[in-house]
Amino acid sequence: MSDSRLTIAKRELSGLRKEKTILLALAIQLFIAAFSSFLVVGLVSLYDPGSVEGYSIDVAVAGESADDLLAVASRQDGLEPTRYSNPATAYRSFQSGASDAVLIANRRPSGRVSVQATVPDGNVQTTIVVVRLRETLRAYERAERGQLADRLESMPLELPPEERSNPYYDFTYTVLVPLLLFLPVFISGSITVDSITEELDQGTMELLRVTPITFGRILDGKLLAAALLAPVQALLWLGLLSLNGTQVADVPALLALVGAFSLLLTAIGVAVSLLAPDRRVAQPVYSVCALALIGGTATLPNGPVNTVARLAIDSGGPETTATVAGYGLFAIGVYAATRWLIDRTDPAAL
Amino acid sequence: MTKRLGSLVSLRRFTGTLRIARWELTRSAGGLDRRTAAFGLLVLALAGGAVAAGLAPSPGDVALDRNVYRVGVGANSPYYEVIAANGALAAKPPSADALDAGEIDVLVRDDRVLIEDSAKSRAALAAFRSATESYNDRRMRAEEDEIAAFPVGVSLTYEDRTLSSGASGSGASGSESSEAGQAAAGSDRAAGAPFESLVLAFAFLVPMNFVVQLYGSSMLGERTNRRGELLLVAPVKPTEIVAGKTLPYFLGLAGIAAVIAATVGGGIVSVAAVVPIGLCFLAATFLGSMLARSFKELTFVTIAASVFLMSYVFVPAVFTNVTPIALISPLTLVVRDLASESVSLGEYAFSTGPFYLSGLVLFVLGTGIYREEDLFTQRAVPLKFLDALGARLRRYRSVALLSTLFIPFVFIAELLGIAVLFALPIGYSLPVLFLVIATVEELGKSVHIYAGYAQNRFETGWRTALLLGALSGVGFFLGEKLTLLAQAVGLPELALGRAAFVPSGAGGIELLALALAPLALHCVTASISAFGAHRSKRGYLIGLLGAIGVHAAYNLTVVSALV
Repeated sequence: MSDSRLTIAKRELSGLRKEKTILLALAIQLFIAAFSSFLVVGLVSLYDPGSVEGYSIDVAVAGESADDLLAVASRQDGLEPTRYSNPATAYRSFQSGASDAVLIANRRPSGRVSVQATVPDGNVQTTIVVVRLRETLRAYERAERGQLADRLESMPLELPPEERSNPYYDFTYTVLVPLLLFLPVFISGSITVDSITEELDQGTMELLRVTPITFGRILDGKLLAAALLAPVQALLWLGLLSLNGTQVADVPALLALVGAFSLLLTAIGVAVSLLAPDRRVAQPVYSVCALALIGGTATLPNGPVNTVARLAIDSGGPETTATVAGYGLFAIGVYAATRWLIDRTDPAAL
Repeated sequence: MTKRLGSLVSLRRFTGTLRIARWELTRSAGGLDRRTAAFGLLVLALAGGAVAAGLAPSPGDVALDRNVYRVGVGANSPYYEVIAANGALAAKPPSADALDAGEIDVLVRDDRVLIEDSAKSRAALAAFRSATESYNDRRMRAEEDEIAAFPVGVSLTYEDRTLSSGASGSGASGSESSEAGQAAAGSDRAAGAPFESLVLAFAFLVPMNFVVQLYGSSMLGERTNRRGELLLVAPVKPTEIVAGKTLPYFLGLAGIAAVIAATVGGGIVSVAAVVPIGLCFLAATFLGSMLARSFKELTFVTIAASVFLMSYVFVPAVFTNVTPIALISPLTLVVRDLASESVSLGEYAFSTGPFYLSGLVLFVLGTGIYREEDLFTQRAVPLKFLDALGARLRRYRSVALLSTLFIPFVFIAELLGIAVLFALPIGYSLPVLFLVIATVEELGKSVHIYAGYAQNRFETGWRTALLLGALSGVGFFLGEKLTLLAQAVGLPELALGRAAFVPSGAGGIELLALALAPLALHCVTASISAFGAHRSKRGYLIGLLGAIGVHAAYNLTVVSALV
């Protein structure tokens, strides 16, 4: 029964294989994965004092409130404060390169301590220097605030303990993994649009229609081929990511989600190419729909990108399961609507 | 007299181009049947309206990371409000079992905070800590006694230490009145990603994809069903046809960029930075549509070009405030423009130069096969690519010219290599970088020679091969002087930048021999691969590998001795 659809699907896939363009799609994803993970790894190594030598920063401290500041600063990690007798000598040590930053602390008549921080401009180290100084100054602020506690109506909450962690940990899950999973989905729908509009344009659809296969079956076969491609690619990427040391949780749910969106976007691709059989219109219209569905929902809680992030980072639960099921039902609904549209379309009129 | 004639001819060419541009506009609008066009417009308007309505109220509130970390906290804990107010953290019932089972990442119990020993738990704790910090700041801001709430004021100055005389303070965290807590905003200039500006900058790139899709369809449409034949028999040159067909789309891109700039508050700098990206994108699509056999193939080529360009411009821009490497992307200029920071002419040239040049070169290559014998033949993309290269090889001289023209691509690839490797420890990254550079440069010097041999454009014999190699080396050496631009933005301050760019350029001031050594190197290695190419495809691959080996070995010995 479903033989004819499978035959069409096989024909579609072998067409892709012959043109070898699918290799290009894989190369694109490899590029994204390599580029982003290298950047992330690189940045992380900047923040991790153990992996890059010489990033414990020397700070010259001076000014009349320097002793208080020094007491706080010496308790900070990755910072080596040195007391200078006056601002001029502190500044000179910065200029000569003996210290990486200068902090000059003076108490104003108002009671507020004013800290003048000077950091080197325009090199990679600046980032680390500023981040460390910021931590130190915040600690100093908390200490000063504690001494003035009787003047405050409510006390600030005590901070949770500090733990060195990868500041780009969630970047991988909220940006990279969704990008790698949704790109094949987007491409699948785009192939469907191309495949249908091209056959209509070149008149080869006529040839297919003289075979004893119905028009609906032909489109179903094309849809099937494209919709299966995306989850397979996604699985491949998840495998590569885990080889690369990125643990992705809840793979079955992720694949189900990718499958749902793959069905959804290929169905939309079919519908768009039936309603606007000219590729010049169909492709942009399809892209807008796909962007609106995946990118435009980025602000919504439980949007597709957010759901992927939560599943992949292992924060899934009943809520995400329900969301995935909801997307699955939505995709099946859109597919059914597309089937209805196909039945109502007269292929000879296209 | 001849001069006037010349200007007349160029004027006629120009009007020809304009006529084709007008034709392209009317035809693409008129060629659609009414139902299709109406449907297209309706969907575009609906989707555009929906996206605008969804995004407009909160462009910065893109909730990709909503509830990615789960914190177990009781409803009566003072930290409950911290969690509830933060998008990335989700409050769950506190239970030690849930922490063990991995159902929560952080557990808050009676002022004690417990985590699991996992990367995720640590990241969750860091997010919790910074959420508490901003919660405290909000509370303190509500206090009446400002001085007790923010007892420390910070002013941050960035100072260039290499120019010990001039203090180039680009005064940062605000004036003297800023508190340590609020200085966070200022420190973000250097610490975090400027996400809001980035989202806005991305707004420039999205519409580009649609214009490019239309352009690709129109260009490939000329090739399918032999529609382009009419254009070819008309008394206009391929250059004019290509220019005429491209002009409306290019102007469209520039116009859209200007409208978006006006909407998001960018200036002329934003537009000027985005236009070369658009040019490069159009050029890649044009070449892609000249190479592709079908619309499906074109889709892949367009998406490949799009993804490559988007990540090349977007990912470095995330690090706008972190390192000068970010300047390899013109989007960095947009982000800076949106933040009202200034952009120097040198920086503009550095980040957009490769885009202008690569765009032009791609157009030159594509126009070479805009002729009947290539337009309507169907061949695999790599073979078509060799055709495009071969079409440019008319004389031996062209080999040197092509080598020079490849410089922008080599430059982009090498910058990409640096961007990817810059933060790794120099001991690991330097050898890898040398290998990348050697591979990229040797490919750039030899792929057209191979194309020429594959199409029998050159005489056989090893003398010719060596001559071609030498020519290619000379062309490449001259073009490489362009990389001196890299020094305009102080990239050489990075050890990696120095390793990549100095040996071919300014390092020669010290030693004359060193200035000529790269010339000899380029000629020798290009000859090795040319010699291989004159035998066979396999010969070329072996020759290329040999050339890469020699090049990398040279870099490692000579350059590492200097750096």
